[in-house]
Amino acid sequence: MQNGEGRMANGELKMTNQKDSPHSQFAIRHSAFKVDRTSPPPPGEIRPFRFPPFLRTRLANGLTVAAARLPGLPLISIEMVSPAGGQFDPEGQEGIAALSAAVLDEGTVRRSSMEIAAFAERLGGYFTSGADWDVGYLATGLLADHLVSGLELLAEVAVSPTFPEAEIERLRRQRLAEILRRAHDPSALADDRFQREVYRGTVYAHPLLGDRESISRLDRDSLSAFYRRHYGLAGSALIAVGDFEPAALLREVERAFALAAPLPAAPAPPEIRPAPLPGISVHVVDRPGAAQTELRLGHPGVPRTHPDHVPLVVLNTLLGGKFTSRINMNLRERHGYTYGASSRFAARMGPGPFLVSAAVATQSAGAAAREVLHELQRIREALVEPEELDETRSYIVGVFPYTVQTIGDLAKRLETLIVFGLPDDHYTRNLERIAGVSREEILEVARRHLDPERIAVVAVGPAETLEPQLAGLGAVTVWGPQEELEPVQPGSM
Amino acid sequence: MSPATPDLAFERHVLDNGLRIVLHRNASLPLVALNLWYHVGSRNERPGRTGFAHLFEHMLFQGSEHIATHDHFRYVQQVGGVANGSTWFDRTNYYETLPAHQLDLALWLESDRMGFFLPALTQENLDTQREVVMNERRQRIENQPYGLAAERLHELLYPEGHPYHWPVIGYMEDIAAATLEEVRAFFRTYYTPNNSVLTLVGDFQPEDALERIAAWFGEIPSGPPVPPVSAPLPPLGGERRAVLPDDVRLPRVHIGFRAPAYGQRLWYAADLLAAVLASGKSSPLYRELVYERQIAQDVGASVGPYESAGTFMLAATARPGVAIETLEEALLRAVGRAAAEPPDPADLERARNRMLTDFYSTLQKLDSLADLFSQFTTYFDDPAGVAGEAERYLEITSRDLMDYAAGWCTEPERVVVTVVPRQAS
Repeated sequence: MQNGEGRMANGELKMTNQKDSPHSQFAIRHSAFKVDRTSPPPPGEIRPFRFPPFLRTRLANGLTVAAARLPGLPLISIEMVSPAGGQFDPEGQEGIAALSAAVLDEGTVRRSSMEIAAFAERLGGYFTSGADWDVGYLATGLLADHLVSGLELLAEVAVSPTFPEAEIERLRRQRLAEILRRAHDPSALADDRFQREVYRGTVYAHPLLGDRESISRLDRDSLSAFYRRHYGLAGSALIAVGDFEPAALLREVERAFALAAPLPAAPAPPEIRPAPLPGISVHVVDRPGAAQTELRLGHPGVPRTHPDHVPLVVLNTLLGGKFTSRINMNLRERHGYTYGASSRFAARMGPGPFLVSAAVATQSAGAAAREVLHELQRIREALVEPEELDETRSYIVGVFPYTVQTIGDLAKRLETLIVFGLPDDHYTRNLERIAGVSREEILEVARRHLDPERIAVVAVGPAETLEPQLAGLGAVTVWGPQEELEPVQPGSM
Repeated sequence: MSPATPDLAFERHVLDNGLRIVLHRNASLPLVALNLWYHVGSRNERPGRTGFAHLFEHMLFQGSEHIATHDHFRYVQQVGGVANGSTWFDRTNYYETLPAHQLDLALWLESDRMGFFLPALTQENLDTQREVVMNERRQRIENQPYGLAAERLHELLYPEGHPYHWPVIGYMEDIAAATLEEVRAFFRTYYTPNNSVLTLVGDFQPEDALERIAAWFGEIPSGPPVPPVSAPLPPLGGERRAVLPDDVRLPRVHIGFRAPAYGQRLWYAADLLAAVLASGKSSPLYRELVYERQIAQDVGASVGPYESAGTFMLAATARPGVAIETLEEALLRAVGRAAAEPPDPADLERARNRMLTDFYSTLQKLDSLADLFSQFTTYFDDPAGVAGEAERYLEITSRDLMDYAAGWCTEPERVVVTVVPRQAS
């Protein structure tokens, strides 16, 4: 990381010596360099890449700190993550993780909601909070000069939130309106219906946001109790990336969090055990007159920490994780059914979904779903071609440096290590392991983790056109557009 | 606050065939980002063939004389690269970032489609890409809640026949009508070295890279000058309105004003005004409409950077039970205030610092930095303009903001597009 070399001490922009000269007319008529267009040119000498050095430690107050220096630009990103994600939502309080995280930055003992936002925004930055399935987070990004004040603000919000009634009420109303909006967003409708069907009876079934009834029930007491249970420093981690000295950062973190009251250790994450799907179930969410169909196919997958993680990354990349993957080449480039189709294994502490997504022409929805099922079947039946495995492995390894360019990229990578309890050399070791994944291993994990015969198919679009196309796949249930509605007609089971 | 000093040094060169080259070395990662801008976009289309420049962009990923139909992405991805392209009103770009030792591969791919595209062109590929693009239009516009509003706003803000009147992605029937012969003619007219800029950013030795670029691109013949586009823009002379019924529950209002062309001082004033008004929770519009009165679900303001005009757009979504007229009035009142009084100094400081962090954030990625160099070279023949971009915002005064609002957002010169729930229409 020697990006900082180019910065000049006098504060002026460094500019090329040619900036004031006319274009240099350049022509090589007898170049020593000859091109051969008939085949890909040979590569030059490989230049090594090392994952940027970072520091990970635990402070006396129990807070884990991970920090990496990324010099060159005067930007910093600081976030704190706590074991407070949607997986901890108790039954009947769906959405409490999301709402309690959102209300954290709505007032502290020293600052109001608007003062918190104005402070960060006036420094060119942002202050935000929220929750995913695994963690609740507080995050701020600022110009690097303001590292200390940004850290102080974050610590203040983390240790002394006041949960003002008026702000809770305001956020509740905003969320109720958001639920109304999602009921008219085809992509959100597809995702929500998919998780309801695939995770029926588990905590993953509900939207992270919660639903109308559960949100209406949450109050100041339940939100602050959730906070006290889940945001103790001992279970939390602070992640900072940017142009600063990590050692100096550590001292500032200790100072900023000095007043934190000790909170009891957070409860362990729940066991999430979705029942296997009984067969192929088809769910059509009716949007009469819709211009297109949002299609989802999938079933429960595996936790991020599953021992098959590395071969699954290779499998998924080959199947639907890059432009030249089987599913995208089939649905987009061969058939023109869609602008793009992709698959993924969601990375969660629990068994997140394996999910194929595409927005397809409605008259092709049945054909597109069948092509996806065909690709899932095919990769379970025969070894992948040696060439496509080579291409996939070298893609994953080669593209890695591209994915760690920004402070946000790097912060996300550090967060992954912390949330999933992975060792410091995780990325380096993973890249080495990927190079060794074999065709047989791909076949084995495809058979173990993909199941086109026990899968949910969700299609959001005009039911009148979709139902006949999908009826041959399995039992079809048609749903009204609003999630709270019961099926508009009974399933044809 | 004065801007910090990121390293934005560059070299520029021109080949005999007119290809302009910008080189910026940054060896912090073993990567190279190659970026080409062709100075052609939807503004060069004609009514009846809207969306053609974008459909053409898709075709340029369908192979060339030495690269088979699906191999462009394959060659890039199998060495760990990423590639894409995009089309805008004024330009089309193509780019890839690869491991630094694969520089020649990137140059081979880009020079093959600039110099040897036509032999690979087939009706079958055109047919498939027309389907793909029609699905892209459905996904981005027609099947998106509120998706048609921005398109309608442009149609009203720029009169029929003006090159910004129609959407970049084009209309469905025009996409369906494109022919192979038109693809050939478009290529010959616009995809010439003299109508493009090549930027290379990353880990390379400039002399060596220049020699390679010259070898791969030098033999491609230059073409005739590109036909000029005429874009006279008479005043609107009145307010234009449209109401779009859509499958939504919450109504949304969009208000559009014209702005100067990108690059002019008052364009930056317009962009800064958008940030003053609505960027962040503490901005006056968010504070008033979403936080205090709680009559809006969201509010936003943005300015389109076009080469020969700009569009300043405000939008807000109503909370359930709130009349959309209430939001329209509130947005117009804010614009009226911006014309009459200077902004709160704290809001101006917030907006300026926001522009700085946005600029630095863009510089973090090799490919977005390469894109900026191509942009300034294509529009202004001035790659040095990149380094001055943050400064241009910091120089904008309260007076400039008022001048823009008073001069461009006055009574008759605006467009209002309201999206309402279908049942209520």
